[in-house]
Amino acid sequence: MNMPLEQKIQEKRSPLRNFRELPIFLFIVGMLIVFSIVIPGFLSARNFVNISRQIAVVGILSMGMTLAILTAGIDLSVGSILSFAISIGGMGIPDGRTIWVVYPLVLGLGLILGLVNGFLITRVAVPAIIITLGTMNIYRGITMIVTQGRYITPIPSQFLYIGRGLTPFLFLLGTVILFIYITLFTRFGRNIYAIGGSEQSAVYSGVPVQKYKIAVYAISGVLSAFAGLIFVGRSGFIQPQAGIGYEMNAIAAVVIGGTSIAGGAGSILGSFLGSVLMGLILAGLTMLSVDPYWQGLVTGILIILAISMDSFRQLRSDRRTL
Amino acid sequence: MKPGSEQFRSILILILVNVGIILVLSFLSPTFLTYENLLSVLKRMSELGMLAIAETIVFISGGFDLSIGTIMAISGLIAGQMYILGLPFFLCILLALLGGMAAGLMNALFIVKLRLQPFIVTLATMSILRSIVYGVLRGKTLSHFPESYLASGDLTILGLPFLFIVLVIFALLATLFLQRTYVGRQIYAVGGNERSAYLSGISVNRIKYTVYILSGFICACAGLLFSIRIRAVIPDAGLNSPLEVVTAVVIGGTAITGGKGTIAGSLLGVLALFLLTNGFSLLNLNPFWQLVVLGLLLIYVVGREGISKALVGKRLKKKTHQSAAIK
Repeated sequence: MNMPLEQKIQEKRSPLRNFRELPIFLFIVGMLIVFSIVIPGFLSARNFVNISRQIAVVGILSMGMTLAILTAGIDLSVGSILSFAISIGGMGIPDGRTIWVVYPLVLGLGLILGLVNGFLITRVAVPAIIITLGTMNIYRGITMIVTQGRYITPIPSQFLYIGRGLTPFLFLLGTVILFIYITLFTRFGRNIYAIGGSEQSAVYSGVPVQKYKIAVYAISGVLSAFAGLIFVGRSGFIQPQAGIGYEMNAIAAVVIGGTSIAGGAGSILGSFLGSVLMGLILAGLTMLSVDPYWQGLVTGILIILAISMDSFRQLRSDRRTL
Repeated sequence: MKPGSEQFRSILILILVNVGIILVLSFLSPTFLTYENLLSVLKRMSELGMLAIAETIVFISGGFDLSIGTIMAISGLIAGQMYILGLPFFLCILLALLGGMAAGLMNALFIVKLRLQPFIVTLATMSILRSIVYGVLRGKTLSHFPESYLASGDLTILGLPFLFIVLVIFALLATLFLQRTYVGRQIYAVGGNERSAYLSGISVNRIKYTVYILSGFICACAGLLFSIRIRAVIPDAGLNSPLEVVTAVVIGGTAITGGKGTIAGSLLGVLALFLLTNGFSLLNLNPFWQLVVLGLLLIYVVGREGISKALVGKRLKKKTHQSAAIK
């Protein structure tokens, strides 16, 4: 944030030394080694497929969340959009609607809800955390009222392909690559960093801040709906309570991945690695038959470690300039 | 609070909202305006009201505390667990309160020493503490408490439930603290502009420690009230409270960016929330209407200026654009 210019230039010149994601990458490798030694059967293809499926939903949610947080915003409504889109978009499934009707409908609902978020955030000019806290309630409420809390089951097998085998993970990888490209190599991506760095300067340098913000929340909405489709494919039914608490997991993945909650700094790759690390550790603990009750402890400590590391780096560089 | 000020106006709006809800519900439901029903509403809002007091103080200082509901859960757990271990009960209560304050201190240490964002720190401590509650309780509930302790939940003083009176006393003390003491005013100053507060000689760090430890203490008290009300300690206590409390507090006119807010406003927000819940259940409506109404209310109350500008049209587009940028 308040880095001296020389240091910024230096950061640009030596990409490997300042590879922000390096610590978390090493941590993942370390965890893999530890788990493969400690847990017999951890290093099996089936196990990795399992873990990859668990990572996919939160991983995809964390992509949209990364964009929102990079603009110094946040999207608390991702879990609610997920359940809204699949519960209401999937209402035609018992009447025999096919994926060609349901999938566009679900994604379209996600887009609309995301656009609503974006419009409210930019037009009402209220912090994103408040707006999305509100819409999180509203979307969840509407979902529960319309569906009366009922599950949709059974789901025809055509809806399950997306959740089988490596498919979820491949979709996640595709999303990650797409958004790495967008954030690093397009004007849109660079401007998102600019908005998060200083919204006022972005306005003064002619960035259409309002439009970009709306786009960010719309993207987050579509990705939430998409994650919902994978969720349905994995679980085999549609439940209106789906996605409760997912926003916190997605935020955790983003923060563990080194993205600053203040905006303007961070990366898609980091968030991807963050969700991989979380998924890996949770899977490992489950295989070590640690009670699932203690999972939150691990997530919490990971978050603290990740942000402390960032802060130490910041404090050290502050001291160096003094 | 001066008449005509923004604070005064938002409290006035909230009083009107509450009166409106009461009027509509008493027309729609014959059982709404009975002593028993209102008594149960007041009793039920006590612990969430306490959490709202804590969150209001944190918000005024420019902070954020997601761990309120979890501190509430863990303090009840400490009291219950220590009593089972055979400690004298007053010591259990003391330990529960100290536990809450320790959790607040932990939040403050991370926020002050490492200069971390309160939202993320308290997200992490929320996750950690909740996991401890789950791990210790393992889906069970604790209901071994002294009878005299639990009986205080049925106590009424001057026709008002004891639990509600505790809330009122805390609210009065907190209001006095914020409005009339030196430290209280400093909390507003830090939330208004941390840099200028620092430059005018306020020990910003000390204020932050005070705020989070105080928040932990109040949440611990809320945990005790909750265990009295439901006569047990449950693992999911306060799971949704951050959401409900933040909504109520923000509806009550407290700025999420810090520097302004009142306890009275927050409690009126909590009251509206509970009246709505009560009304929806009396009318046999889907309880999830409450979520929709609350969400709409939240967005409306916070964004009413922005909304009216947006409704007036593009004439003001440029202006909002600029003001949004400045924020």
